[in-house]
Amino acid sequence: MVVGEVAESLDLLVIGGGPGGYAAALHGARLGRTVTLIEKEHLGGVCLNVGCIPSKALLEVADAAALPGRVADWGVAATTSIDMAQVQNHLQQVVSDLTGGVMQLLSQAGVQVVSGTARFSRPNRVAVEHGDSLSHFEFADVIVATGSRPIDLPDLPVDGQRVVGSAELLFSSELPENLVLVGGGYIGVELATAFAKLGSHVTIVEAEKQLLTGFDKRVARLVARGLEKLGVTLLLNHRAQKLESEGLLVAGPEGSVALPADKICVVVGRRPNSDTVGLREAGVLINSQGLVAVDAQRRAADHIFVIGDLTEGPALAHKATAEAEVAAEVACGGAEVFDPTVIPMIVFSDPQVLSVGVDPSQAKKQGLESFRFPFAASGRARTMGDTEGYVSVVADGAGTVVGVHAVGSHVAELAGEAVLAIEMAATVEDLARTIHAHPTLGESFMEAALGLAGRPVHVSRVSKNEKS
Amino acid sequence: MFQFLLPDIGEGLEEAEIVEWLVKVGDVVVRDQPLVEVLTDKASSELPSPVAGRVAVLGGVEGQRILVGQLLIEIDDGVTVKQDFEERETSAQAPAGIPAATPPSTLGSPPPFAAAAPSSSVSPGTRPKAAPATRKFARDLGVDLTQVPGSGPGGRILLEDVQSFSTGKQGGAARSLDPGLGVMPAGRHPLRGVRGAIARNMAQSWSEIPHIHSLDEIDASVLLGFCQESKASGMPLTPLGLTVAALARALRRFPMVNGHINSGEDTQEVVIPEHVNIGVAVATETGLVVPVIKNADHLNVAEICQAIADLAQRGRSGSLLVADLSGGTFTVTNYGSLGGRWALPIIPPGQSAIWGMGRIADRPLVVDGQVVARPALPIVMGADHRLVDGDLLEAFRHEVLGYLADPQKLLAGDIF
Repeated sequence: MVVGEVAESLDLLVIGGGPGGYAAALHGARLGRTVTLIEKEHLGGVCLNVGCIPSKALLEVADAAALPGRVADWGVAATTSIDMAQVQNHLQQVVSDLTGGVMQLLSQAGVQVVSGTARFSRPNRVAVEHGDSLSHFEFADVIVATGSRPIDLPDLPVDGQRVVGSAELLFSSELPENLVLVGGGYIGVELATAFAKLGSHVTIVEAEKQLLTGFDKRVARLVARGLEKLGVTLLLNHRAQKLESEGLLVAGPEGSVALPADKICVVVGRRPNSDTVGLREAGVLINSQGLVAVDAQRRAADHIFVIGDLTEGPALAHKATAEAEVAAEVACGGAEVFDPTVIPMIVFSDPQVLSVGVDPSQAKKQGLESFRFPFAASGRARTMGDTEGYVSVVADGAGTVVGVHAVGSHVAELAGEAVLAIEMAATVEDLARTIHAHPTLGESFMEAALGLAGRPVHVSRVSKNEKS
Repeated sequence: MFQFLLPDIGEGLEEAEIVEWLVKVGDVVVRDQPLVEVLTDKASSELPSPVAGRVAVLGGVEGQRILVGQLLIEIDDGVTVKQDFEERETSAQAPAGIPAATPPSTLGSPPPFAAAAPSSSVSPGTRPKAAPATRKFARDLGVDLTQVPGSGPGGRILLEDVQSFSTGKQGGAARSLDPGLGVMPAGRHPLRGVRGAIARNMAQSWSEIPHIHSLDEIDASVLLGFCQESKASGMPLTPLGLTVAALARALRRFPMVNGHINSGEDTQEVVIPEHVNIGVAVATETGLVVPVIKNADHLNVAEICQAIADLAQRGRSGSLLVADLSGGTFTVTNYGSLGGRWALPIIPPGQSAIWGMGRIADRPLVVDGQVVARPALPIVMGADHRLVDGDLLEAFRHEVLGYLADPQKLLAGDIF
């Protein structure tokens, strides 16, 4: 500590400007606090700048590029060509529109945004480094939302050229000819989908025996089939070893092979940025995974709140945003707790995935009933030209909906109804007796509920208890 | 190495029974993590760990009684636990976004670890079925949703269920019975814990105190109307809360009813306490407990209602402290919440009077010479006849009923 350093006194400090941090700052300002937000890089965090948002924009581009194949049978002949430089401009525009919006919201709320990297020097003080300058701030309360960063593989260090992370891959101006994605989680799957549609030869190397570990097996199987249709090579049960002259060496049950790769993208997971901000020095408890111990109110120590990827639970933007409101309310004297029944998971693969609550295989073990309504029986899916997938609803013995799992085109957009039904403790009858607009994919919820209620309409065979 | 000796957990208590260890030797504990459930004559409580560390020695087995000052548990808090951030296995292909839910293995310093951090793998089937707004409402009222019977489809807990649970009305029906009520396996069971304490106290009261009782039934329409109106004002009051407020004021006026006879081998004295501390009997899973509203005569009716709701909730969740249960000078038992109409309650040791409330229900009352159906509240006043004569008993009862007939008087700025 510098002798004689002078610390500026702050009211509510927020560290990190991602979906958790900026939301916490806005809530704090709404509650009458004087809020300062410190961001080391870009407002909007990983999600807006190099994660959820640009990857979804790229997937839209990829879908557009893949249009001719989709519509050939419809009497539409089209050809497409891709200008990656223009694609990059487009992605940048989407990102800058959104981050500009965040900046504007913060400024309208009177939040002071400070650029720099914060680190705790005492439990009530941070030092902020910006270029060569170092300033010190004391705060009454702090909400820490510094997010996470990609996990590195020691034998495959990211060099930013040939071996890259997801951010560099999204914003590379050249389309790789042979792309290897190391990691078959949702990030790897989404990137594989996009680049396969754009025209790269894509390989996924995944150590587990299925893609999307943690998701229902049936879901993972359909996603794998979708990728294979796009020409993606799946090397499950394989581990990336190291980069050699002939390519990336991967080891599997039948020995090692070298994969040709002009781009290798490492997407094996993310680790919490709890170490980079000196949280341990602030006196909070951090476990071996780097997750910070918080109570239900997201309090890690007196006047220190921690949210988002730093706390236990899925590292997803919508979780961080929900925690932000709780932390801000509590920091301002409120009595909130973080108390969701479920946190939805979606994957923008092709077909897409929606996973909320108890999945059908867990249901089977617990003796719960589920019903799967196939999109092949959905009028809307037919008109859209994609009948792959299903909506599966799981209910408990009292008929209360406890899980919704779907695979298919656009099912990510159906997450809202699924989460709402579970949060509201809706019953199968509630879903079955709610008139859903025709023809929409959302009808499939109602159809699955009708099936669970024993009176399916558009499927003749009763396939209760994933009895199909 | 930290030696945690059984602390003095309440006035005059010298020993406690180890009911259940919540940790075992070798467990890593964080500060404030509950270590053990102990039971004294007055309450069961969970003792939190004063330090973080690894459990080295347990000071006794379950069922054993240990004395204040004896070793309860030894915790190794001095070792340097590996700060293994860099050593952690990066489990190369771990999926993003689904961190495994492992307990903390690295201890820095104090704060509590997440009580119940939900994750995407939260099983919706194991939680109370209630919408987010209902859950928030329950939190605001201090209502434990696991205790609230849901009247919605599939057992869904509705806002109204929380409201009526909170005000103790239960939609007019008697509270749903605990399936474990009255169940005990055949055989001989040592009389200890809460049951042992109840047995000792009841025997002492029944053998020492000559009881007299006075019973009455009053027209509760004004009282209920008053409670109904209070809901609209956002400060819901209950008949029980108003009764406690009325009793507090009457006890202030008649200190002898608030006193008791201390009859020892070489002492014979009347004790008149300085404070009015009213205990409210609450049925819990392990037996009857009587949390105490301290200085009830200094609280306004809203504060009393809040205190009752808070203590009752903590009674049911088993989180009452010894201090919550001691120091009572008078007791109220609302056996009406269990459906009863008339009862002759026993006065607790160290007190000289008790007030019982039966269930409010429409019954024929005579109003202006006509028999009409009115909500009737049966009440009973029991007293120690050594200290309280019939005239005092009736005067006290009359004073309380006067407040209940015109609850507005309780709101006037007549807090002492």
